[in-house]
Amino acid sequence: GTQIRSCKDEYLVPTSVMQARVKAIIARHNLDEPTGEVAALISHAVQERLKNLIEKLAVIAQHRIDHFIKS
Amino acid sequence: GAGDQSSQLLSRPRLQELVREVDPTVQLDEEVEEMLLQLADDFIDTTLNSACALAKHRHAPNVELRDVQLHLERQWNMWIPGFGNDELRP
Repeated sequence: GTQIRSCKDEYLVPTSVMQARVKAIIARHNLDEPTGEVAALISHAVQERLKNLIEKLAVIAQHRIDHFIKS
Repeated sequence: GAGDQSSQLLSRPRLQELVREVDPTVQLDEEVEEMLLQLADDFIDTTLNSACALAKHRHAPNVELRDVQLHLERQWNMWIPGFGNDELRP
């Protein structure tokens, strides 16, 4: 059936670049090449990780500014 | 890993785009951007290396989605929907 994805299929890292990195690391471990979905999943994961970090940085920076204004 | 800047997977403009998406009022110092690019790179390498180790542990010839998913869940408590068979999830 049709797969429904809640995240848009637009990657932070270009697909070809990510697949090249996957290939390089897989080869180092003497494993066969995985399906393209592995690279796609890692692309989504790194986007999530970065979003999370940016959100935290925004909170921290705001906190610093608030403190600066008060003092 | 500790690759030089040219080996970075993520470009600075793409990172800035993501930052605007998350919070349009946020501005990052150049050093912070550089650090985030490096963190993203390390994240990708660590995830791949762990997935390879898990595949080997399964005595499998190649990395499957579930190897990546297991690492993401255990290390980051992260679940990306829409990959593999979501029905298996509780």
